[in-house]
Amino acid sequence: MYEVVWPLAPRAVAPGTLAPRLPSLAGRTIGELWDYLFRGEELFPLLRRALAARHPGVRFVPYDTFGSIHGRDDAELAATLPAILRAHGCDAVVVAVGA
Amino acid sequence: MVRAAAVAERAGLPSVSIVSTAFLEQAAVVARGLGLPGLPLAEYPGVPMTDGPEALRAKVAALADEVVAGLAGTVGAPTAPAAAEPGPRDIVFRGSLDDVQEFFHRQLWSDGLPIVPPTIARVERFLAHVPDRAPDEVVGVLRPDTRAATVWSIAVNGVMAGCRPEFMPVLVAIVEALADPEFRVQDAGSTPGWEPLVIVSGPVARALDFHHGQGVMRVGRRANTSVGRFVRLYLRNVAGLRIPPGAGDKGSIAATFHVALAEDEAAARALGWPTFGEEQGFGPGESGVTVQSVVSASPPIYTAGTRAREHLEVLAEVFGQACAYWSFTGMKYGRWEPLLVLGPAVARVIAADGWSKDDVRRYLWEHATIPAGRAERYAWHLGSTAFSLAAQVAAGALPAAYAASPDPERPVRVFLRPEAIGLVVAGDPGRNQSRGYVSNHIQGGRVSRRVRVSLADARPPRGAFASEPPLTAARRGGSAARGSSDAVDQA
Repeated sequence: MYEVVWPLAPRAVAPGTLAPRLPSLAGRTIGELWDYLFRGEELFPLLRRALAARHPGVRFVPYDTFGSIHGRDDAELAATLPAILRAHGCDAVVVAVGA
Repeated sequence: MVRAAAVAERAGLPSVSIVSTAFLEQAAVVARGLGLPGLPLAEYPGVPMTDGPEALRAKVAALADEVVAGLAGTVGAPTAPAAAEPGPRDIVFRGSLDDVQEFFHRQLWSDGLPIVPPTIARVERFLAHVPDRAPDEVVGVLRPDTRAATVWSIAVNGVMAGCRPEFMPVLVAIVEALADPEFRVQDAGSTPGWEPLVIVSGPVARALDFHHGQGVMRVGRRANTSVGRFVRLYLRNVAGLRIPPGAGDKGSIAATFHVALAEDEAAARALGWPTFGEEQGFGPGESGVTVQSVVSASPPIYTAGTRAREHLEVLAEVFGQACAYWSFTGMKYGRWEPLLVLGPAVARVIAADGWSKDDVRRYLWEHATIPAGRAERYAWHLGSTAFSLAAQVAAGALPAAYAASPDPERPVRVFLRPEAIGLVVAGDPGRNQSRGYVSNHIQGGRVSRRVRVSLADARPPRGAFASEPPLTAARRGGSAARGSSDAVDQA
């Protein structure tokens, strides 16, 4: 008979809460965060058109404003990204492409 | 990618992440590890890199509604609180050896091979070899599951992997390296399916019977094999990187664990070369481990002749070709650390001709090239659809030579920097063979940690094969000093 212990370890993350959602995208500014992978250069322009058709007045801050988010140091990203998004007046972000 | 979304959310900006179907589960694992399990995702159905323009257009139009729902819909409903998890000394299962195997397999806690049951007595025997470290000491945090890498959990997985208790200081140093942000363990579940390679350096390698000779990278020697297996088990259980039916590990085809590598340090020193460990910063008499990613290996490289250039010409061709396909990743991310294991007989010829290790690195760097257009094409096929060498040079990420002309046939260097090429002398001293290992750019970057161990209290480990009397990393007394018992170990 064997009595065995757990091979995992305690979680080390504080639970967070999601940001409040917007009432509508109309008139809002969306920042595009791209990992520069998997055809985002085609996807984002298509998405802009699709969202603009649904929500007049929606604006976009293009992905090249922010550079690639792939492989960025996490601490650096956390320290710099919020201020950059705010400086560009972003109300929300679309992140792509995970594949 | 999901990490950027989490940063935005924590800053008060709603986000939605566009993820292809096969990666939704991995994204959920990452989001949970970031403390935001409800992070909104929008599904791109299928595989974007095999869709034609019409399919892409249609799918983006279709997912636009999910994007709107993610940003302006109702999300973030309270999720059920996570179930309480066991404490380190809690008994999670009681049963026979076979029962334990089945239970661990069903829980996704094993690697598919039988494990040694982690009883408290066995774990304590491991802990006795790191008397200066508390069991609940956290040596780092491993993502994507974001779990605290405790000394206790290292011992548990070391037991399961079949390690000897005296390997424990090595295991702790390995996990310290895995947890270093430079290593980016959170990316160890990426699609290339790279695997960490551990290189053990210094007196501890001989003391614990790490093999460096013929067949060094084959399973068959306990230290090399069980330590290699430990790394994979630890990534599954603490980093949360599991292939289906688990999630988190998206290696598309991937590869299995590498046995740990040790250098033939006596051979290197006899040539007047610094050892690999010394090149990583370990002083004389110091022991250490180095971890780095390996995404593929070269063929065995046979080189013959009595002059260094005869060997290096072939090494640059074959090692260079093995690395050439993946070289765009280094060009894109600015870091890449391929490793060449030089056979001792080959190294002897090169050194006898007056070449230093730096000379070897420089030769490989100068002579391994790839047509620029081919590197860009390989990048596109992987999914780096916006990659170009000219853009990298314009951004200051690559030297101007990489964009010296618009000719796609122009040769560009495979290796970014000579000093990034690792050289380890190991393998069969009776054959003229070497082998190269391709790393995965910034993912699994080369990281070293000192092994905190005293070798003063020496005794050979049972079953050691070393020709010289090995030392042990253990303090005498071991588990007995802690009063532990094997009482529940035996049926």
